[in-house]
Amino acid sequence: MRRFLSFFLLSFLSFCVAASDYHEQLVLRPLPLSALLASFNFRSNTSLSAFEAHNYRFFPRSLGQILQHAGTRELHLRFSLGRWDAESWGARPWDGAKEGGTGVELWAWLEAASEDEADHKWLTLTNALSGLFCASLNFIDGTRTTRPVMSFRPEGNHPSSNSTNMRLFYGVLPREVVCTENLTPFLKLLPCKGKAGIATLLDGHKLFDASWQSMAIDVRPVCLPGEECILEIEQTIDMVLDIDRSTRPRDNPIPRPPPGHELKCDTSKPYHSDDTCYPAEYGANQQWSLAQIFGRPMKGTCPLSDPKIPPVCLHVPDSRGVYTSGGVETITSKDGLSRCFKVQPEAEFDLVLSHVETEGVAPPALAGSIIKPETPSLYAERSFTGYGQERGGVQTILRNPSPDKEVEFVYMESLPWFMRIYLHTLKARLDGSLTEQTSLIDEVYYRPALDRARGTQLEIRMRVPPSSTVFLTYDFEKSILRYTEYPPDANRGFDVAAAVITILDDDDDAKSTPGGSASVSSSNLRTTTLLLSLPTPDFSMPYNVIIFTSTAIALAFGGMFNILVRRFVAADEGPEVSLKRLKTRLQTKLGGLFKKLGKAELKNE
Amino acid sequence: MPRLLSGAFRLKNDPRILKLPPYLSLLCLLVGIAWLLLLPLDNYSRRTYISENALLPGQVHTYFGGSDQNVFRAYKHEVNSLADSNATNPAINDKLSEIFAGIGLKTARQRYGYRSTSSGVEAHGENIYAILPAPRGDATEAIVLVAAWRNVKGEVNKNGVALLLTLARYFRRWSLWSKDIVFLVTPDSAAGPQAWVDAYHDELHGGRVGSLPVKGGALQGAVAVDFAREGRFRSVHVAYDGVNGQLPNLDLINSVVSIAGGQMGMGVGIQEMWEQRDGYRERLDTMLRGMLKQGLGAASGPHSAFIPYHVDAVTLQPYGEGWQDEMAMGRVIEGTFRSLNNLLEKLHQSFFFYLLMGTERFVSIGTYLPSAMLVAANFTIMAIALWVKSGQPEGEVVPGLEGKKGEKARLVTERHLFLPLGVVTVAQALGVVPLWVFNHTPASLQTTVFAVFLVLNTALPHVLSAILTRTYNPTTQQYQLITSFSLLLLGMFLSSLATLNFSLALIVGLLSSPLSFVRPAGRVAWSVPLAIISPPAVLALTTAVVKDGGLAPVGDVLREAAFGWDVMGMYTPVVVWCVWWPAWLVGNLVVLGRPGRKDKVA
Repeated sequence: MRRFLSFFLLSFLSFCVAASDYHEQLVLRPLPLSALLASFNFRSNTSLSAFEAHNYRFFPRSLGQILQHAGTRELHLRFSLGRWDAESWGARPWDGAKEGGTGVELWAWLEAASEDEADHKWLTLTNALSGLFCASLNFIDGTRTTRPVMSFRPEGNHPSSNSTNMRLFYGVLPREVVCTENLTPFLKLLPCKGKAGIATLLDGHKLFDASWQSMAIDVRPVCLPGEECILEIEQTIDMVLDIDRSTRPRDNPIPRPPPGHELKCDTSKPYHSDDTCYPAEYGANQQWSLAQIFGRPMKGTCPLSDPKIPPVCLHVPDSRGVYTSGGVETITSKDGLSRCFKVQPEAEFDLVLSHVETEGVAPPALAGSIIKPETPSLYAERSFTGYGQERGGVQTILRNPSPDKEVEFVYMESLPWFMRIYLHTLKARLDGSLTEQTSLIDEVYYRPALDRARGTQLEIRMRVPPSSTVFLTYDFEKSILRYTEYPPDANRGFDVAAAVITILDDDDDAKSTPGGSASVSSSNLRTTTLLLSLPTPDFSMPYNVIIFTSTAIALAFGGMFNILVRRFVAADEGPEVSLKRLKTRLQTKLGGLFKKLGKAELKNE
Repeated sequence: MPRLLSGAFRLKNDPRILKLPPYLSLLCLLVGIAWLLLLPLDNYSRRTYISENALLPGQVHTYFGGSDQNVFRAYKHEVNSLADSNATNPAINDKLSEIFAGIGLKTARQRYGYRSTSSGVEAHGENIYAILPAPRGDATEAIVLVAAWRNVKGEVNKNGVALLLTLARYFRRWSLWSKDIVFLVTPDSAAGPQAWVDAYHDELHGGRVGSLPVKGGALQGAVAVDFAREGRFRSVHVAYDGVNGQLPNLDLINSVVSIAGGQMGMGVGIQEMWEQRDGYRERLDTMLRGMLKQGLGAASGPHSAFIPYHVDAVTLQPYGEGWQDEMAMGRVIEGTFRSLNNLLEKLHQSFFFYLLMGTERFVSIGTYLPSAMLVAANFTIMAIALWVKSGQPEGEVVPGLEGKKGEKARLVTERHLFLPLGVVTVAQALGVVPLWVFNHTPASLQTTVFAVFLVLNTALPHVLSAILTRTYNPTTQQYQLITSFSLLLLGMFLSSLATLNFSLALIVGLLSSPLSFVRPAGRVAWSVPLAIISPPAVLALTTAVVKDGGLAPVGDVLREAAFGWDVMGMYTPVVVWCVWWPAWLVGNLVVLGRPGRKDKVA
């Protein structure tokens, strides 16, 4: 995956210098368990001087003005939904560089002379983007903003002169539901606005029915040596579609049971009959067409895009037959694992991926129907531990599948302030050993939360040895919120943003690759978000009835009991109460006891 | 206030007041019982209603059926072949894991091994579960469908497991799930689900329970299927009792009732009332059965393990002869899952404390709690009365209100507290002995040990009373104080227990109600009725009546209690041995006591 995508990335980069300033490409890649990864990539450039002169060409004007107004040098915006199933689907597209955690994520480098100015610019930026993308980005306030120290690096080339004034801000909204209203402004930023080219395939119904999807916008300056600096905007949409769900016709979207004779059965079972059917394997060997998957065929190409780059590529083994509509030129790669299609500018384009022909009922081997996904360099899974309303814990399981290579990464959490972590409980231990291994953690950056002002920021640089699993755990305390601080809607709990894991490449040659000079290659992954339930006031429930009545009864009963039972005497009338008296009483009691025992013994004698 | 004070003062010295408490206490008892009997009436119970509007039970079309039945039959063949060949737990899980993989779900397994000497069951096994991730969601919430391989009665849950597999395949086709769905198959109905839920919440019991390799989001609800019977059925039985009398949210039961009864048109039963009629007797019967189950606090199905973690759960069991088939059962589950899927937040509306009188009638805590509280209050009243009485000069008839009140009020004797406090403390401490014994006796010896204990228990008060009389020869006042302290403790324990487990508090309260009226009689004959209401005797008698098999079933009950104590954290034995039994012991001591003259001690 990494190889292919970086191949296209490089080819883009090499082209972009030479020729047109706008490219688009769709890469389709069937995944195991009848899933299909569709990666849309749109990239346009404008020279930095033209940009600064308010001369936009392919660069969207609406966004450009916001960036200029807020002094933004580099911007990354992510809208994501669902989760990437790394166990079955393997490594993430673009090495995870173009995805965000569930909800909305935004990080940007702002140029500002002072902290106050930077904060002000960040506020301007979030509010402006909020309007542009119809998302609640304006809710990224001080409590949701962090300033990562180790996790993010600028991807673009920034002249060293202003790098001292560049400040990184990172904000995340895990509860934001990404939907069609975010897609429309996204498409509007494209030169062809979704009217032609691969963007015609983007339909809200299909995109938001995907098992996982991530929309990304990256703006960064790119300076190649000896050339004028350009400002590059890259828009990416990655989605994993469930082929079964997507191919369901739109007029009959309910998954009713199919008629008995259409059921695919395993006929080798001895009990197989007309009314008994052991369903055949849920496999990757499925036939589909572009129009079925996306609900419509692709309408030509975008006339503004670079004609040299094939707009659609498909990663399947050569053994699988692919049929395309007329006038399409197929370019097969040399390794036989991918093919690309050049499309007539005006014609509709459709492609059909056929079944693999197999003998018998046994499902074909996975390798025959799809390309085996690449193993990711790290698996991460995060969950809450413990239960109850007072304390909890977070456990992240980090697994390194590689047999010989150690993985070094930065693990970043930005937690809400009402989740107060106990840093002393932060432990990393290897699977199998019960003791803590401090050697796994190299460096910890911790910025504690301030109540109602800012959240916790925790960055940990750590390592996972080859083919081993590390449990990273810490405990936290749940704060009690003021009752006005609960959101007015249904109290489902509070979402905790995904942890961001940035894998550090120890080999520095990534920087010296020809295209890579533009950026530091980064490899990311994100865990899922978590749902934190806090103690919730609930004024309608029997508990409160019990508490109130018990208190009332205790007060009334206590008073009455005292009056009825106590004997009231003046202080000088009553018996003397002192330690001394108690002592003498005890002594006489014990003395009597001993005497009795002595007597008994005497009797026995 | 001063007026109230002086009024109370005057009242305190009124001799009539001191005669009142026993009658008042009896009145409390009678009102408490009468209150309970009134509850089934229309005026005192309410119709159930759906409080959480988001649930919308029975508002969706259910599509499970058609060719899914062909698939069901195939899975049923697979399950049957496993059941017929007596496959081992790992072999079953291998097959199930293969089927889940064929559906396209990832599975994970969990080993557990509870070793409980007293329950005799070395509960160990391997759970298997598959997670259907919410198609468009993140891993924040989950709902669980459970089918235990063997149900509570030990029958193989053939249809249940096959139905779970078919539903897993069917649910995978939908894209509307907002929560992860976990399909869990456990080898048994008690230890397996308990181990799984414990591990889900990271309670690993020192390694006895394996941790879960894969987890979904926070659990929001669970439905268990117990479908061991073959053939068509008429109605669905909803089992809802949790461990220690905890109950799931009433909305969940209401949803099931409304889906199965309203939408699918099948009958719904609760508390093993197989015939559905709605009269006073049936309601009372249902309520009393429910209270007995709640009072015993034992697990009633795979769902029971979920409830302590605030995960609302029920078990559905088809019963009766009718024309409903497995697909109808599947549609009930589908409907319930669609309702749970609608939830925006945890089930929190409606009621967690209730008594059901039928599928559509209930009383909530505010209405029924007074009856247990009155029963508990009777002990407290007697305790206070005895305390006051013990402070008055013995044998002296208190003159009426005539004369100088102030002087009469001073006519109070010194109380000797040392002995009474000691006796009550020792009795309370002794309660630990049977608790420990019955939780550590090997299973095979439980019945024998119980028989020995029964005999010892009958003899114990006599021995203790003899010792007490011989060494200390307590006075009437001291006997009064012993009773007072013991009753005070009992009243306190029961009234606080009533808010946690109403039924247990009421049952213990009623069974020990004669203890408020014990007086030193000095006659052995009086201890006979008390011996009959001793905790072990009650246990032996009820099991003999219910299971009519002498002492043998008692062993089973004790084994179950020990298992509940060891594995599920059931606290009924603690209440029996550390609350009820000491109170009984002290009561019996008092009855057997022969109060000596005061001057002897002094």
